[in-house]
Amino acid sequence: MIAGIWLDVLDEIARTCGAHGRGDLLQTVRQKRVQLLDPRLRVLVIGESQQGKSQLINAIVNAPACPVGDGRTTVLPTVVQHAEVPSVAVVQAPPPNPGRPAGAALPVTGERTPVPLDQVAAGVAGTFGRRPGGGPAYVEIGLPRALLGSGLVLVDTPGTEEAAALGAAGPAAAPAWADTVLVVSDSTRELSAGELTMLLHVARSHPNVVLVQTKTDLVPDWRAVAERNRQHLAEAGVPAPVIPVSAALRLRAAVGDDRELNAESGFPVLIGRLQRDLAGKSDRLARAAVGVIARTVVEQLAAPLRAELESQEVEEQSGPISRLHAAQREVDELRRCSTRWQNTLADEMADVLADIEYDLRDRTRQILREVDDAFDSADPLVSWDTFQEWLERSLTEAAEANHEWLVRRCDWAARRVADTFARYGGDVLPPWSMTTPPDLGDGLPELERPAVDRFTTSQKLISGMRGSYGGLLMVGLATTLAGMPMINPLSVGVGALFGGKSIRDESKQLLRRRQAVVKTAIQRYVDDFFVRVTKDRRDAVRQVQRMLRDHFTALTEELQEAIIRSFRSAKQAADTDAAVRDQRQREIRLKMTRLAGLFEQAQQLTGARSAPAPLEPRP
Amino acid sequence: MTVGLRLDEAVWGLLHQALQHYRDNPRATDHLRHQLARLEQPLRIAIAGPWRSGKSTLLNAVMGEEVAPVDGVDGSTVFTWYEDGPQPSATAYANGQPPQELAIAKSATGMRVDLVGWRAGELRDIVVQWPTRTLRQVTLIDTPATGRDEQGRAPVMERVLRDADAVLYLTRDGRDSDLRVLETSRESAVGQAAAVHVIMVLSRVDETGGGRIDGLLTARQLARRQHRDPRVNELSVHVVPCSGLLGLAGRILSESDYAVLAALARVPRPELETHLLSADRFLRGDLPVHLDTGVRAGLLDRLGLVGIRLATTLIRTGCDSRAKLSAELIRRSGLTELRESMARLLVDRRDTLKARSALAAVEALLRAEPGRGTDELLGRVEQILVGAHEFRELRLLAALRTTRLGFDADLAAEAARLVGGDGVGLAARLGVEHDATVHRLWDAASDAQWRWRNRAEDPLLRLAQRRGAQVVVRSCEGMLAELAEGGR
Repeated sequence: MIAGIWLDVLDEIARTCGAHGRGDLLQTVRQKRVQLLDPRLRVLVIGESQQGKSQLINAIVNAPACPVGDGRTTVLPTVVQHAEVPSVAVVQAPPPNPGRPAGAALPVTGERTPVPLDQVAAGVAGTFGRRPGGGPAYVEIGLPRALLGSGLVLVDTPGTEEAAALGAAGPAAAPAWADTVLVVSDSTRELSAGELTMLLHVARSHPNVVLVQTKTDLVPDWRAVAERNRQHLAEAGVPAPVIPVSAALRLRAAVGDDRELNAESGFPVLIGRLQRDLAGKSDRLARAAVGVIARTVVEQLAAPLRAELESQEVEEQSGPISRLHAAQREVDELRRCSTRWQNTLADEMADVLADIEYDLRDRTRQILREVDDAFDSADPLVSWDTFQEWLERSLTEAAEANHEWLVRRCDWAARRVADTFARYGGDVLPPWSMTTPPDLGDGLPELERPAVDRFTTSQKLISGMRGSYGGLLMVGLATTLAGMPMINPLSVGVGALFGGKSIRDESKQLLRRRQAVVKTAIQRYVDDFFVRVTKDRRDAVRQVQRMLRDHFTALTEELQEAIIRSFRSAKQAADTDAAVRDQRQREIRLKMTRLAGLFEQAQQLTGARSAPAPLEPRP
Repeated sequence: MTVGLRLDEAVWGLLHQALQHYRDNPRATDHLRHQLARLEQPLRIAIAGPWRSGKSTLLNAVMGEEVAPVDGVDGSTVFTWYEDGPQPSATAYANGQPPQELAIAKSATGMRVDLVGWRAGELRDIVVQWPTRTLRQVTLIDTPATGRDEQGRAPVMERVLRDADAVLYLTRDGRDSDLRVLETSRESAVGQAAAVHVIMVLSRVDETGGGRIDGLLTARQLARRQHRDPRVNELSVHVVPCSGLLGLAGRILSESDYAVLAALARVPRPELETHLLSADRFLRGDLPVHLDTGVRAGLLDRLGLVGIRLATTLIRTGCDSRAKLSAELIRRSGLTELRESMARLLVDRRDTLKARSALAAVEALLRAEPGRGTDELLGRVEQILVGAHEFRELRLLAALRTTRLGFDADLAAEAARLVGGDGVGLAARLGVEHDATVHRLWDAASDAQWRWRNRAEDPLLRLAQRRGAQVVVRSCEGMLAELAEGGR
């Protein structure tokens, strides 16, 4: 009846393994099922070398079954079991198949080589009956003993120092296939760190571990050692009892049939324990074993699920959601970009305008200054034609240079604006170029010669006469006093002198007046020129600005269109993805819950009797 | 080449060169001065081994007195140094604290050091000065258990290799983990060219075979088998089985102990055997001889059950005095052989081992603090390693041990003997009696030189063999030179 319950749980575990698609675990569970249904008790003896493992088995069965010696005697695992007549055989599995992991299962079939009874030592040392290059081998020893007849199978193993090396000698020596594990450590010292690690390792995967402390006959303080070993086990959290025994005393007691000595050897306790295990195999032991295998299986099945959950959480940072975020950022960026380019354009164009105006003003001022300098000395009457030619040329040149400057500035401003679009690719400049119109100078009005006064001959005569009159009178009057006539050579000479001077003065005054008139006229003319050209420039700049604005607005709209489209698709993908993930997470959670239920069920089998061993490996 | 320059002079020169090189580095100079001083000090032999391998017991047995262990701080990393000194004293050195004198309690057979008030991990070294003849030539170092930490390093073994000139490595059965620990000694250039001398001691052999009294003989066979194992042989110069417990018991056996054992031995054998079945029975059972529980416990403590079995058997078979019994116990424990090996293989080769330690220290320093000119000094280290005849002898010995050279067994044994594999004394090298005359030594040496010179020039031999033979010839020439000097 009870067997049915744990069997049900085991089958449930097997089904779960199947459902999760873990054939390897399923295999293990099936093997375990076979093993648990086997009425025999498989006892594995492990421990470091030279601790008395083989001697322990000999003492249990009261016969020199396993060879004992100094140095390394046990090389192959040795299985001691019941047989009607003593027999020894080396069983070797076929060479490991590369397709299947070796040592995963107990070899059901193997090549059996009978060994003569006097060659047991050679067989166990691995030097007899084993083919080189074959699979893992073990020695099978059959003994006609009542204790073995009741179903006890003892497995001796080569000594190992490290927990990882357990089972390296072949599946026959693997703790997974044992019902009871005896860890052997001798009484001459406490458990070493290595042995404790091995105990922890075994206890994690095995429900039934016993620490057997051998060689109690050798040391007087074995009780203290046993006590300290118990402490060590308790501290490490290994639920294993300590049974101190002395194989020497037991074998000696068997020779003399000494009950007292046998009791002293401590073996009755150990054998009692083994017999209890044997009797309780189908109930207590099996339930514990199912508990452990449930834990192993659930751990193994839950681990990938947990990992998937975790990786999904990580994926949320990367998958479609992140693309959505990226698209969102892109939209924001474009909006910022559009404000930026408009500001840049306005600023740049204002700058261009100011610069161009200043440039033009500067150039015309220069011309005017030269004009002033020239007409400070030159006579417009004489050099007007040359001058007019020079002036027109200068103005045309100024207008051309200024225009060129304008073109360059506009181009630069366009580039500056285009720079704000750098992240959207290089080719965003408008397909445009400004040319210098050929008729820059033509629009100017003809510079007319200003009306200037000439100094005519009659005017000269009159003014000469007017000047000489005063001189003639002044000197004539003076000379009359000296008794000379009014008109005498002296007075005539002075008169002529005065006349000449007044003609010169008059002519100079006229020249200055002419110069002033010309300067004013030219100033007005250049001013006109400036106003007209400035107007042209303003128009041009405004036109450029408008054109650039149109171009970049169109570009922005185009970009926006594309970005919005990708944003939409990202959003859609993210929505779908979230739904799928939610679905998967629900599935995983459901599976985990089922696994937890299964685990719970298995743990209830063992009841509160055994505290759950630590799930996580201890540091 | 160090032709004409003796090894110790070359090493001395190198240390001074290094001192000059690191004159601006106080830490390095201190270290180098320490190495210089160490050249003059007795040979340092560390006793190392895994946990509970019997290190302190063996140290006591070698000293012949119960002075170790200085414990109380369990699992600590303290090294205990035993030096010769006029007065028994013990000084504790802790990290960052001034040295402190420790109280000593003397007992009949030794002493105990009081370690009250120290916490684990605080102490670095304890130096015990103890007036005894054993310590004239060697300083013994008791070390904590060797083991690997999580990173796979063996910190204790690293320190042993730094501080000691030679190592007694104790192991119960020479398992893989022990060999792996020993392999750490081969890492540096010095370690490869001239590895540290390790004598592997199979310890606690009285427990071999579950306590049979012939366990000691079995252990001797085991040791011989191990010595032949190439992997062990490569790492150690010798494998000696030794039971520290029995050795110590033999050395401190008192008349009263002997009287008790003799009384036990008078009990008929079958009857006594039932009482010696287990320690419990001996301690609590009704012995036919009246013995106090305290006396029984003391005896068990000193000899162990195996020791009592062995001692009673020995008394029964003729060891009828304390002196005879103790001599036999010491002989059977393997202690005699161990002490002899230590003298022959370590103490006699003191100068070479010291030089080796100094070279290793200089190399470690140069590698730890590289700078301009260190390459040149490293080259110098290598030059000494390659050129010095003493190291060539050691390398030849190592090669002979691993049978790489391909000499047959007899030739290899002779070559090993001549280059000092059995000891560096003239008689030991030439394989003649201790008290041989100069004449006989001369004859043996010149004969060996002649034969090996032929081998060195034999074109049929392999190059490695001829080179090996050349080293042997050079050793023979050295011996002849020594004899000529002594004869004059």
